[in-house]
Amino acid sequence: MASVSLRKLEKSYGALRVVKAIDLEIMDGEFVVLVGPSGCGKSTTLRMIAGLERISGGEIRIGDRIVNDLPPRERDIAMVFQDYALYPHKTVRENMGFSLKVRGANAADADSKIRDAAEMLGISHLLDRRPGQLSGGQRQRVAMGRAIVRRPQVFLFDEPLSNLDAKLRGQVRTEIKRLHQTIGTTIVYVTHDQVEAMTLADRIVILRGGDIEQIGTPDQVYNHPASVFVGGFVGAPSMNFAKARAARGYLDFADGNRLPLAGVAGTKLSAADGREFIVGIRPEHFTSLTSDVGLNSQAQVVEPLGSDTLVHFAVGGATLTARLPPELRPQAGEAIKLGLDPAKIHLFDPETERALH
Amino acid sequence: MTTTSTFKSEADRPLARRPWLSRWSDPDDTTLAVILLAPAAILLSVMIVYPVSRLIYTSFLDLSLTSGLPARFAGLANFRQMPDDPVFWQATWNTVLITLITVPGSLVVGFALALLANLPFQMKWPVRLSLLIPWALPLSFAGLIFGWFFHSEYGVVNDVLNRIGLPSVIWFNSPRLAFAAICLAIIWKASSFMAMIILAGLQTIPRSLYEAADVDGAGRVRRFFEITLPLLKPTIVVALIFRTITALQTFDIPYMMTGGGPGTETATLAMYIHQNTVSFLDLGYGSALAVVMFGLSMLVTALYLRMIRGSGAAS
Repeated sequence: MASVSLRKLEKSYGALRVVKAIDLEIMDGEFVVLVGPSGCGKSTTLRMIAGLERISGGEIRIGDRIVNDLPPRERDIAMVFQDYALYPHKTVRENMGFSLKVRGANAADADSKIRDAAEMLGISHLLDRRPGQLSGGQRQRVAMGRAIVRRPQVFLFDEPLSNLDAKLRGQVRTEIKRLHQTIGTTIVYVTHDQVEAMTLADRIVILRGGDIEQIGTPDQVYNHPASVFVGGFVGAPSMNFAKARAARGYLDFADGNRLPLAGVAGTKLSAADGREFIVGIRPEHFTSLTSDVGLNSQAQVVEPLGSDTLVHFAVGGATLTARLPPELRPQAGEAIKLGLDPAKIHLFDPETERALH
Repeated sequence: MTTTSTFKSEADRPLARRPWLSRWSDPDDTTLAVILLAPAAILLSVMIVYPVSRLIYTSFLDLSLTSGLPARFAGLANFRQMPDDPVFWQATWNTVLITLITVPGSLVVGFALALLANLPFQMKWPVRLSLLIPWALPLSFAGLIFGWFFHSEYGVVNDVLNRIGLPSVIWFNSPRLAFAAICLAIIWKASSFMAMIILAGLQTIPRSLYEAADVDGAGRVRRFFEITLPLLKPTIVVALIFRTITALQTFDIPYMMTGGGPGTETATLAMYIHQNTVSFLDLGYGSALAVVMFGLSMLVTALYLRMIRGSGAAS
């Protein structure tokens, strides 16, 4: 096991900078998830840690070694690829044992390691098959098995669940979490799925356009998003945003709605009369249709999901979504007042889109 | 009322009333199979089955156009003549030797070229184009070019030898040197074909397999033997089948370079067939020789196919 540290790590292709001098300290045994939309640089960062991509600047340390110029095989890492990259002409046993064979491990020792790993992943009965004879979920497990037999210092996962169907994805996600709890090795995991990030990570790193937008625990990124981008990226349905102006202790929306500023995000903002904000409200923070404090609007579309009801409505020119308890089910077209706790409101600077705390 | 009902039932089952139409517009499975297979079957019959049958038939005839005698059934006489024919043995041995030398030779050179062309060059097209050119040249043209290369007075090979202080060599006077020059020309010509097939195979191997092997600890050489070679095996076998069959039929290059000389030292089976049928107009014996060559090709193909099945590469 080892820590991983990225210092001013850069990657450019010609003039195009895909990773912009990022700093990240990953602790020994930590499960860190890199998440972000396509093209944010998360996979490139992972591949640079693996040594599959040369770095354009900065430094990568694994443990106390600088590995900038080491080939992947000398970094003591294991990787699970998005397409699994299993050797099609080798059996599951040979796939899992390949790294041990290459490193000259003795056969009996290798065999017992393969069997242990196969047992841990529930694939013991598949050892003599070839990848072509396995289902997607089984291949995924073999790919993980190949990674764990060697007991590397760091595991790297590159979108390992994206080729599985939704049900299997949930199942394997749980298994990955259990695996981490069992073997405790440092894991760097890349995904574009915020649910995976939230459920698996000790800490989440949210990337956008090659920059780190926020680093934090799932709780921190959900409850204290550092920017409009993070607020919108984490959580489903995503956070609602509407513009409002501060005036005499209230946030005034363009359509006449107002919310008290007191208790919103610190008292120092209450003095900022006339200042404009982006107001962020999570759909689940609307709790009732009968409240003193709330937003007046008209239900446009109502989606009953069984467990909740999604209500879409307009405030100040923006369309918002509320996730209400299932028993609250207004009719489309009905006038509603959506109640919420002002303490749960987030304010962002309209210029920088950064959170104001 | 009656009229209407008749009319109605006819409209309901118009096809059933006209069976000849229904057979074409809504054929059963067997008819459909026949219709779909007919064009290919007819083409194959005209282009392959008939000529091959005719060839086999002719091989049993005593049919020499120079004798002026009508064709006469001769049984196996043409085939019995072969074992006592030294040129037949010479030509067959040369053909086998050319196959044994140029097939592995073009595989090795072609493989190397394919690996080279598969490198991540900035500009891929000049590399690909230079691979294509030898393949696109007509065989006889390649024979002509190499004939000039090895020409004793004007050839570039002797020129190079002279420049580095070595004496000129009269290539086509020595059976061995002439044979070597022919093999070199064939390897040059055939390598580009091998390289293109292998390059296509190389490009189907996902890059992530190499990355996984790299992470697993395998260096370049190991990756080649553990990933590239096993995954290319089916491609290589297919390339070898094509190449071997064309090698057994070698004609143009030696024909243009040496014409089989000196004497018949560099003649191939195909050249000997050509000589018997076209020059000597002995169609019976020529056909018998062609049947032998046909059998040889079939045998080699069967061996390769068995090899694929044995290795499971076909699956």
